[in-house]
Amino acid sequence: MSFKKDLIKGIFQENPVFRLMLGLCPVLATSTSVQNALGMGSAVIFVLLCSNIIVSLVRNWVPAKIRIPIYISIIATFVTIVDLVMAGYLPDLHKSLGLFIPLIVVNCIILGRAEAFAGKNGVFRSILDALGMGIGFTLALTIIATFREILGNGTWMGVPLFGPSFEPVLLMILSPGAFITIGLLIGLLNWTDHARKIRHS
Amino acid sequence: MLREMLKYALILMCVTLAASGALGFVNQLTQPKIAAQKQLELQKGLSAVLPGTADGIIVPDEENAVYRGYANQDTSDFRGIAFSSFAKGYSSTIWTLVGLDSNGTVMKIRVLGQQETPGLGTKCMEIRSGESEPWWQAQFEGKFAPDLRVDKDGGEIVSITGATITSRAITNDIAARSGTIIEKLKMTE
Repeated sequence: MSFKKDLIKGIFQENPVFRLMLGLCPVLATSTSVQNALGMGSAVIFVLLCSNIIVSLVRNWVPAKIRIPIYISIIATFVTIVDLVMAGYLPDLHKSLGLFIPLIVVNCIILGRAEAFAGKNGVFRSILDALGMGIGFTLALTIIATFREILGNGTWMGVPLFGPSFEPVLLMILSPGAFITIGLLIGLLNWTDHARKIRHS
Repeated sequence: MLREMLKYALILMCVTLAASGALGFVNQLTQPKIAAQKQLELQKGLSAVLPGTADGIIVPDEENAVYRGYANQDTSDFRGIAFSSFAKGYSSTIWTLVGLDSNGTVMKIRVLGQQETPGLGTKCMEIRSGESEPWWQAQFEGKFAPDLRVDKDGGEIVSITGATITSRAITNDIAARSGTIIEKLKMTE
């Protein structure tokens, strides 16, 4: 039961983007297209998984006073590995994500999970936690990117959805579009939560 | 106190040593692949910016990474010259290949490397659906290179919405660099 909760909580109750409000900077920047969102999501899942595994393996040897520099070194190592592998094997995706791959190092979700979960729990639970949080992040990113790409560009996954008469709403692909989409989605989630609570009481 | 500090320094050193070892290993594995990708990209870029040289040859000039394109193997039919522009954009150095004909008119340009803001500056490489080349770069075709300016500076190049800095950087850098390249062309004639 508890294992299942470790996995599921990152996707729903503790979704990093919609609930914990972590890692919003890359969400704003890479949710311009669904392809970018999926690429960014996979990179984050990989880094989160590896860093959670290593952090939970070494948790008993890491002195509390220097845990942050150790965690950051571990995270930066895996981010650089993703960056190099992507440059070698997926050059197009690497080009379109650009600066945001190296910036995963300072993504709060990853350090946050190392600090709040992997540094205190065993390897198996840390893997579940990383998968849940990673999937939750990717899911949120993809939902936001779906709205932004369809409204702002008239395409989904690069496939045009409307005829040539469609005028894309440029605002949606620019940064304000990201703020508006995230704000409305969070508002909607809070509203349904609130409505459910009222019904229960 | 001192002992504790030494212990921490030693632990951190071990961590960073392990990290650099792992990175060195991955770097060794991926370096040839990345270099091959770069080379392939350069080749594709060169044949794109020097149209008409596909079956001919492209000869590198010694200095400044300038390439001369010929329509056939015996280098009699000169088609144009290609050079690299490195413009300082909004958040990165933008690497663009530019092909000029013998009059200094742009044949084609290709942006090969940039790390501009995704969704804004990256539009300089965007290919619209149903089209075969990036719309922004297509505007440069047929214009005299040293006179290139973006619309906000009174030129003909329409800048990308939300990415004037990127547009202006590429345009101005090509205009600035093309001067010496055209000198080079005149000298060989």
